[in-house]
Amino acid sequence: MLLNIENLQAQIDEKVILKGLNLQVNAGEVHAIMGPNGAGKSTLASVLAGREDYEVSAGAVDFDGEDLLALDPEERARKGLFLAFQYPVEIPGVSNKLFMQTAVNAVRQERGLPALDMFDFDEFAKERIALLEMRADLLERSVNVGFSGGEKKRNDIFQMALLEPKLCIMDETDSGLDIDALRLVANGVNALRSPQRSFIVVTHYQRLLDYIKPDHVHVLYDGRIIKSGGFELALELEKNGYDEIIQQYQNA
Amino acid sequence: MVKKRSPIAQQALDFYLQQAQQIAQTSQNPFLSKVRQQAQERFVEQAFPTAKDEDWKYSKLSGFLAQHFSQQGISQPVANWQAWMPSFPVIKLVWVDGHFCETLSDELSQLPAGVLLESFADALQANTELGGLFANQDTVLAEPFASLNSMLFQDGMVLEVAANVTLSLPIFVLHLQTQPLHHSVLRQRVSVGENAEVTLIERYVSLQSQGAGCVNVVTEIELGKHARVQQILLQEQNRDSFYFNNQFIYQAEASQFTTFYGAIGSQLSRHQNHLFMDGEQIENQQNSACIGLGAQTVDSRTCTHHNQAKGFSRQLHKFVLEDQAIGVFDGMIRVDQQAQKTDGQMDNKNLLLSDFAKMNTKPKLEIYADDVKCSHGSASGQIDKNQIFYLQARGIHKADALRMITQAFLLEPAEVVRQEPIRRWVMERLALALQQTHLP
Repeated sequence: MLLNIENLQAQIDEKVILKGLNLQVNAGEVHAIMGPNGAGKSTLASVLAGREDYEVSAGAVDFDGEDLLALDPEERARKGLFLAFQYPVEIPGVSNKLFMQTAVNAVRQERGLPALDMFDFDEFAKERIALLEMRADLLERSVNVGFSGGEKKRNDIFQMALLEPKLCIMDETDSGLDIDALRLVANGVNALRSPQRSFIVVTHYQRLLDYIKPDHVHVLYDGRIIKSGGFELALELEKNGYDEIIQQYQNA
Repeated sequence: MVKKRSPIAQQALDFYLQQAQQIAQTSQNPFLSKVRQQAQERFVEQAFPTAKDEDWKYSKLSGFLAQHFSQQGISQPVANWQAWMPSFPVIKLVWVDGHFCETLSDELSQLPAGVLLESFADALQANTELGGLFANQDTVLAEPFASLNSMLFQDGMVLEVAANVTLSLPIFVLHLQTQPLHHSVLRQRVSVGENAEVTLIERYVSLQSQGAGCVNVVTEIELGKHARVQQILLQEQNRDSFYFNNQFIYQAEASQFTTFYGAIGSQLSRHQNHLFMDGEQIENQQNSACIGLGAQTVDSRTCTHHNQAKGFSRQLHKFVLEDQAIGVFDGMIRVDQQAQKTDGQMDNKNLLLSDFAKMNTKPKLEIYADDVKCSHGSASGQIDKNQIFYLQARGIHKADALRMITQAFLLEPAEVVRQEPIRRWVMERLALALQQTHLP
């Protein structure tokens, strides 16, 4: 098992958001986490990536044999966890090239691989740019500065392609994207799917899942997963909304 | 009105007046005597500004007044001047303690055709008619430290570039301070003819790592029509020292001027551009990158006069402050009634790395024309937590993330330097200076 989340509870300030969440992800699987606004979807993504604002009050997360919660955010990234941001951050003055060369070499160091010099990195990066059909000048530009919403998300996918993580967490990647941008992002993700790489796709709407087909779908509500199923669960949600499932859960 | 002065200010004033009188006695030229006399009169009215003077509220002079800086003294031998040279080819000119040093400088007779360079002392000797060197004294004397300069200066630089001459090599001016309590009073006059082009690099350094010295500079730069001038200044004196630089720039029609100021050293440094756009279709860019650590006060200010139509001005000033450092930015864009179609933009951004660092900023617009596009803005803050987390989430250590973000922030104004080797050199100096911060 790649990821095992047991009874995870987390809060921000005094507000408890995750109230005992369980989830198991095997290598190569794609899991979709769906749920209404305020259910705790983004909190789950943030807690797994190690954002400081959240306090984990109970539970355990095992990631590839390690205690994930004991690691700094950068250590999690080095060990193969990747968060695609809901809102990728702009960093003026830092070029994508410098940023990603530093990041790639940090990950390579963790894996016991030699650092890539400027030329090797350039070659590697260009190959990935071609694979994802992205603009050639991407590397020279400041991180996300002046990028459209779609470009920012694709830049995150580009970073994912360079870092070759074991687990990718996509935090509402579809938010703010038009249908063309959504398709481009999804194509990027699909190009990176492999039997060794797992995905957790956090989303409010089913439409992203038309492009990235999940193996498992989970409904997150009030800080817990209240229903799990296959892709048909996503279709059911699209048809009937969340209310029915929430009603069933509250009556149970 | 006679200014009320503290005993310390009075003592300092008496000291500098006495120095001025000694210098005046050596002067044979009646015109020069008049220049100095006028300066002295203005200085007595102006000296010394206090916190009650709006323009000096945040740049306190008490540290400067507590010590008296003299132009007398014997320069220490300069052994390792190469250490201060960049690796790219330049025309090298060296001033030691305010005096031109022929032996360390490149041979002046070997300069490219159309370039005249002499020390200000030589220019004073050679000319009986000095009017041209002091054509703008009325403007210059509006600033107290420029008045002080005008009554005390003895040397400096005169650079003339003839029309249509393009200097491919940058002129590199190295100002070395070798002794504590020394006053280097420099007068620089640069005139660049029609359609001529030059890059001027100035570097101010102290040879001793501690002990206060003082540099007082007045620079006048005149650009002819279509002339192109790029200026890069690095102020890297030791952190006990003082630096006052008043630059007066006069641009003629369709000329282009770019200046970058990097402030790294000095206890108190104050760099001022007074820029006059005296023709149509003028372009200019004034940037600065300032680092303040410990108890440093770093003051960078500009006053940009859009006097004619279709002028284009851009500014970016950035400060990184740590410890109890104080940063001061003051910028004025003044658009004259006839300066229609002016396009002026001024930005000031500041990063505070400690709870005790302080930034005082005052961007100002004064617009008398009705068809203009002008903007100004200022923002001060700490490093954005989301930026740090974004880098961490890609495997970059927090300490490296902090450094990367801070460095990128500070270096942006230096992007204006056009030649890649010079730009890289400037950025390396600034990055090196940032290593003095307490960033982990």
